[in-house]
Amino acid sequence: MTTRILTISAIKMFVRNRQALFFTLFMPLIIMTIFGLIGFDRVPTLKIGVVAATPTPPTEEFITRLKDIPNVELFRNSEESERAALLKGDRVAVFLIPDDLIPAPPTNPDSSPNATTTKSVRVLENVAQSQYAKTATSLLSRVLDQTALAMAQAPKFFDVQTEEVSVKQTRYIDFLLPGIVGLALMQMAVFSVAFIFTDYKEKGILKRLVASPMKPSQFVAANVITRLIIALVQTAVLIAVGVLLYKTHVYGAWWLIGLIATFGAVMFLGLGFTISGLARTVDAVPAIANLIVFPMLFLGGTFFPIDTMPVWLQHVVKYLPLQYLTHSLREVMANGAGLGVIATDLYWMLGWSVALIFLANLTFGFEEKRL
Amino acid sequence: MTDIIQVHGLTKRYGDFTAVDGISFSVVSGETFGILGPNGAGKTTTLEMVEGLKGISGGGATLDGLDVKREPRLVKALIGVQLQASSFFDNLNLKELVETFGALYGRKVDAMKLLQDVELEDKWKSMVRELSGGQKQRLSIAVALVNDPKVLFLDEPTTGLDPQARRHLWGLITAVKKQGKTIVLTTHYMEEAEVLCDRVAIMDHAKIIALDTPVNLLRFADVVSTIEFSIEQPIDPEHLRKLPAVESVSSEDHGYQILTKDPEQTLPALFKLEGELRFKLFDLQLRQATLEDVFLKLTGHSLRE
Repeated sequence: MTTRILTISAIKMFVRNRQALFFTLFMPLIIMTIFGLIGFDRVPTLKIGVVAATPTPPTEEFITRLKDIPNVELFRNSEESERAALLKGDRVAVFLIPDDLIPAPPTNPDSSPNATTTKSVRVLENVAQSQYAKTATSLLSRVLDQTALAMAQAPKFFDVQTEEVSVKQTRYIDFLLPGIVGLALMQMAVFSVAFIFTDYKEKGILKRLVASPMKPSQFVAANVITRLIIALVQTAVLIAVGVLLYKTHVYGAWWLIGLIATFGAVMFLGLGFTISGLARTVDAVPAIANLIVFPMLFLGGTFFPIDTMPVWLQHVVKYLPLQYLTHSLREVMANGAGLGVIATDLYWMLGWSVALIFLANLTFGFEEKRL
Repeated sequence: MTDIIQVHGLTKRYGDFTAVDGISFSVVSGETFGILGPNGAGKTTTLEMVEGLKGISGGGATLDGLDVKREPRLVKALIGVQLQASSFFDNLNLKELVETFGALYGRKVDAMKLLQDVELEDKWKSMVRELSGGQKQRLSIAVALVNDPKVLFLDEPTTGLDPQARRHLWGLITAVKKQGKTIVLTTHYMEEAEVLCDRVAIMDHAKIIALDTPVNLLRFADVVSTIEFSIEQPIDPEHLRKLPAVESVSSEDHGYQILTKDPEQTLPALFKLEGELRFKLFDLQLRQATLEDVFLKLTGHSLRE
């Protein structure tokens, strides 16, 4: 009964604690929104300038075809202003199209089109964005070729037919969401314990608890249960936001995600208690906690895949507690992995939990206890 | 009259430093027992050893027949504790807070009744951070009473409070005392010990240097009270020196000062002398000895050093 009432009280306190809520939900949501908006994998729009003062009607038609290419934004201005825009970096390329690139249909049908001289489109490429500029140029060539073929009324020998096959498309947000869930679990477990228990210790609240016949383990249990419940709610909310707002797909089993979240939370709760044992005052908590948490936040596979890092760093980083959490969540959420695939991650998290809880026992106590 | 607390040779050492040095005392059931002394005398350490909060280096204590060292959890269930400078959980209102503390004792409590007893029932929706210092101390008494304890321990309950809040708290403590509860309190206010306590142990430098009722402490410590008055027609100070219990007499113009060990004997004799010698006393003032003087006399230094 004691533990049950203490748990209810601890939940009330957690939910009313603005700082805890910030770390638990708002910060992960903000990070998700920002990184989701940046959208690292979105195909950028090619801004192309077109200069053609008084084109012939077929040339005009040609320009319209350019306009219809997806992901291309066309700007038509004088050469002078387009060159200026290019210099400012606002265009990846500028096409200088002669007015009579494609001559008006001959009034005399006998005259052969071959008789006309080759007209050229001059392309001004933005060297700073040469890759995009090359893309723009190749798009131009393609449309020109198609136009030339059409004009020559040559039979069409080849054609490419693209068919969109619905594969599991992995977008950046699909990669990001498990990372964010892992980060949120870490923040919640570490900070909510480290701050709140150090505060209890500093204010003498723990001492007052020791003056009662309750066992300290009951109080710790109530607070751990509270945070495990919060961990599951937090995971569910973040995934729900990902699914509803960013159309992420979650392929794996829900119970498996819950299991991983619980393992991760237990591991980081151990870290939280270790830190609140080390910190003598609340002021010391952010320093100690961030020293451990901050590097992990960037290196633990939250925002970037670990295989993009230098090899020597990968060897270090793959042992980080957060890495096992984000990796297993990603395997399950984005790839639909089963228990077998993530078993190794779970074992490692279990190992880290044992180590951290052991450390917490050394540093943290209700009564004066110092390493 | 039974002893509810017995302390024998209680000692606390931190390395070379001895915080409490082999003290012994007992507390009678139903009495209010005060431990008086300056900061660092060992009052709080003594209290926390008896409460089962701190380890005991030597000697021992029993509470209601239970050995504090062996049965700390049973002892804790019997007592109510208010720690020095107590603070409580944030983000719970007073009612929830009292109920949570009830749970620590495995009890379902009537939180509103307890808050009513310390006159905080109007504040039940508030958080602790919204309370004044006096209200916080009252709350900590309500919390100390959640388990209907046999013994209530109060560690410097009024330190840092303004005089009005202090008197208010004294009233509450007296009300608890009237319920028949044993109260053990520490204080460095002499007045508090004199007002609240049936018996007072004076502690200095880790030892108890005196233990008695406030009245006896005053009587046996040989501290003097001062009687001051003026007379129109000067009289021979020899008459005054012959009055009972008088230590010394000094005079200056019309003003006289008598130092006496017992003003209750000296004063009636002085009035009798006034009739016999036909002089007129005016501006009569009596400054009685306080525990402060007892303390000064016993230790050679004042309490607030």
